[in-house]
Amino acid sequence: MNRVPGLFVLLAASVLFTGLAARIKALWAGRRGAPLLQEVRDLWKGLRKGEVLSRTTSFVFRLNPSVQIGTMVFAALLVPTPGQRALFPFPGDFVLFAYALGLARFMTVLAALDTGSSFEGMGASREAAFSTLVEPAFFILMGSLALVTGQTSFEAILSRLDYGTGSAVLVKSLCVVVLFIMLLVEGSRGPVDDPATHLELTMIHEVMILDYSGPDLAFIVYAAGLKMVLIATLIADLLIPFNVGAIFGALLYAAALTLVAAAVGLVESLTARTRMSHAPQFIFVMSALALTAFGVLLFSLRRGF
Amino acid sequence: MIGFLAGTGLFALGGAAALGVRPARKGTVFAIFAAAAQPFLAVPVFRALTGEPVLTLSLPLGFPFGPAVLRLDPLAAFFALIIGLGGLSAAVYSPAYMKMYRDGRSSLSGYYLFLGILTAAMLLVVTVQNALLFLVVWEIMSLSSFFLVGFEREKDDVRRAGIYYLVAMQAGAACLLAAFAWSSTLSGSLDFASFEPIFAGNGFVPTALFLLFFIGFGVKAGFVPFHTWLPLAHPAAPTGVSALMSGVMIKTGIYGIFRILLLGGGGNPVLGYIVLAVGLVTGVFGVMNAIAQHDLKKLLAYHSVENIGLIGLGMGLGMIGLTLRNDTLALFGFFGALLHVFNHFTFKSLLFYGAGIVYLKTHTRNIERLGGLIRVMPITSVLFLIGSAAICGLPLFSGFISEFALFSGAIRALSVGGAVPRAAALGGLAGLAFIGVMAVLCFTKVFGICFLGSPRISPRETMTEGAAPLLAPMFLLTGFILLIGLLSPVILPFLGPLVRRFIPGGAGPEWIQLVDLFRAVSMALAGLAGLILFFVLLRRLLLRGKSVAAFKTWDCGYQEAGPRFQYTAGSFASPFLKLVAPIIPIAHRLREPDGLFPERASYESHSADLVETGLIRPAGAAVRRILGLLTWIQTGQTQNYILYGLIFLIVLIIWIIGVR
Repeated sequence: MNRVPGLFVLLAASVLFTGLAARIKALWAGRRGAPLLQEVRDLWKGLRKGEVLSRTTSFVFRLNPSVQIGTMVFAALLVPTPGQRALFPFPGDFVLFAYALGLARFMTVLAALDTGSSFEGMGASREAAFSTLVEPAFFILMGSLALVTGQTSFEAILSRLDYGTGSAVLVKSLCVVVLFIMLLVEGSRGPVDDPATHLELTMIHEVMILDYSGPDLAFIVYAAGLKMVLIATLIADLLIPFNVGAIFGALLYAAALTLVAAAVGLVESLTARTRMSHAPQFIFVMSALALTAFGVLLFSLRRGF
Repeated sequence: MIGFLAGTGLFALGGAAALGVRPARKGTVFAIFAAAAQPFLAVPVFRALTGEPVLTLSLPLGFPFGPAVLRLDPLAAFFALIIGLGGLSAAVYSPAYMKMYRDGRSSLSGYYLFLGILTAAMLLVVTVQNALLFLVVWEIMSLSSFFLVGFEREKDDVRRAGIYYLVAMQAGAACLLAAFAWSSTLSGSLDFASFEPIFAGNGFVPTALFLLFFIGFGVKAGFVPFHTWLPLAHPAAPTGVSALMSGVMIKTGIYGIFRILLLGGGGNPVLGYIVLAVGLVTGVFGVMNAIAQHDLKKLLAYHSVENIGLIGLGMGLGMIGLTLRNDTLALFGFFGALLHVFNHFTFKSLLFYGAGIVYLKTHTRNIERLGGLIRVMPITSVLFLIGSAAICGLPLFSGFISEFALFSGAIRALSVGGAVPRAAALGGLAGLAFIGVMAVLCFTKVFGICFLGSPRISPRETMTEGAAPLLAPMFLLTGFILLIGLLSPVILPFLGPLVRRFIPGGAGPEWIQLVDLFRAVSMALAGLAGLILFFVLLRRLLLRGKSVAAFKTWDCGYQEAGPRFQYTAGSFASPFLKLVAPIIPIAHRLREPDGLFPERASYESHSADLVETGLIRPAGAAVRRILGLLTWIQTGQTQNYILYGLIFLIVLIIWIIGVR
């Protein structure tokens, strides 16, 4: 099992990631901030609690948390971590990765509508609308990388990316930026969403889970952290050469995740949340950049990359 | 072949037999005949699908048909399977559903008669391989479905939809008539098999012929810009017919295009890109319009447009693969397209049947007036949810398998050829993702607003679960959705012989690769299902012995929130529709409260189909203007018409003597 160190980092990082970003924000604002392991305590507390369910809800609402955490853990098994093989790579596995995230989104949105609350309806509506801009960009990005490597699975695509020409550096940095924006949108962070509050009319993710408590909430919070780490893992895969070995790779990987979390915290400290009506413009930057990367690749390939 | 024809005949016979019995019995009689037809159809169909020798029957018809050949090859068998199952489920569903029309005013006899004729005609459409006879059964199919669409003819909009449908079908049939006439003139025979040499090469004639066939069949299938009849005709028809038309009948158009491809058509490299682009535009345009719809059946009709687009996308990928001589790409494209034909049949019929139960019990198709139905009709709701997940292409359900095949094709196209196929492949990839995620938006809207939350109109006692005969076909279709979704390798042996026929050389090694890939996918999906199940059980374990309290939904301290405070379908779709406003124009009509004692205020919004308003109507007006110039010919006097006939004969004689 050459896979264990990376997977361990991945699953552990998902309880630290949000804490780290929050810590950076606190430091930037001149506060001490909550302990790094605060989320572990919250999760542990949630798992031992009972819960309150809305009378309006149906089985969809109760099923959703298990689907969230199940799909995210599953997606974690598909993603290769730096220096290590994926658990079961197959051609086109990144499609399944994206669609597993899609299944989770489908259930989140339905669970939010299940409560009959107009707040949660708002969040659900925005989540569904914004995702229509994120998903094509992700596929343009993966398509570009598949094009340049001639490979079809996550692992093969990311492991063959080591080339050192000028346009390659350009393409890689474009991809990192695209994935970082995707992390901010999918992870419901600023400037698109605000993780700090859930009673503003402007929220997306937090408002959709207003009615969850106890183990259900713990499942959802863990899954949300895992989702961010999954996308951060893809960024780490792009930044770290693939052939560094399992243990060293895991260390570099942990460092890269810390870096990404810090970047998320910094972005949130430095930028104001955009107006909801302007968020699509920000998200659309993803597609524009991904298309640029594709264009660069298409033309540099013709000249013998 | 005789057995197959007997099965076909039983459907028509069932329709005729229903004429002779009391209204209450008609449905049952028809259903019995439809069920009796199944074994006759199933045996030859499965034999053909597994690659047994093609069954052929030659009918010695005289002039003008010539020998009429019926062949049950794998392509015909595949579509016959869908038609047979679709006919059966419509027959089982109809009796209970049509009860609401048993008031003496509507003609139930006509309903079952035309339902039987429609099913039988569709079965013949896919087997008849004689151009003239094909056009005859094709017209019978169109006409019988026209009478079914117009079932509630006392309603204004139904009549309008029926006429629109009829005109659209005739326009499509005119293209087919021209295309068939052209090809049989060139080949000198009406048999499809004789057309093969015409399609060879990529000169002007085969290219133009292919496009003519593509347009003719595309009207039936509902490719943009020929889709405008679907959102009118599907909602107008009774639900059993909507399901049969949307799930099965529009696929005869797809069948036609596949038949031309199998005869060697589409050899010009440009055609693959055209089909791909049309498919992409159809998919995106269909689902965007669906999001704007608040009439449940109209919304589902637009989703048929979307799925036809996905099928076209797969066809386009396959055709590009053929011209690039990349067998893997061709295999994935055609496999994805064909599997999606079957998958769309299962989930779209399921969704229409679900929508039918909702209409039967609530008497409305307006999504905005529904809500909380999961409480009163739990089984319908769960089945509708499964259908929704499948149509969104979500993993664990059948839609994912066919969309995954399309994705795989597009990914493979990225690494072949030059810049053009690569850019096309990326367009396909991004388009598939875009369509998929918009479908998620649309179906979270439908399911979330109709079935979840609190009821928006006060629940009546009549709002109950659908009766067993209404649910039975839905269970059957759900079974297919889960089977293909979770155990896709099981169905591959039935598709292999068919798909490999499209590729010269049979693509043996590539097919084995494909089978291996879907084994891996289905194992991965089993892992996903297992993980979700694990967490469901873990949750149950964690909550054991804990208090689980029921309370009202958190309303942020506001005390008077009622069902009317819930998000509506309109508000749910609004952020997205604002983004695509140039493509999906929405007309707002606002009447503001006025004066010191405002009496009434209202707000309405309607979405318009850009193709309908921007292309079809102006084109229709232009055609009428041009034809208007010729009205002087129509004098209404018999002598003049005899004169026209005489002139025609003289010209004909001169042409035969002089030119030939």
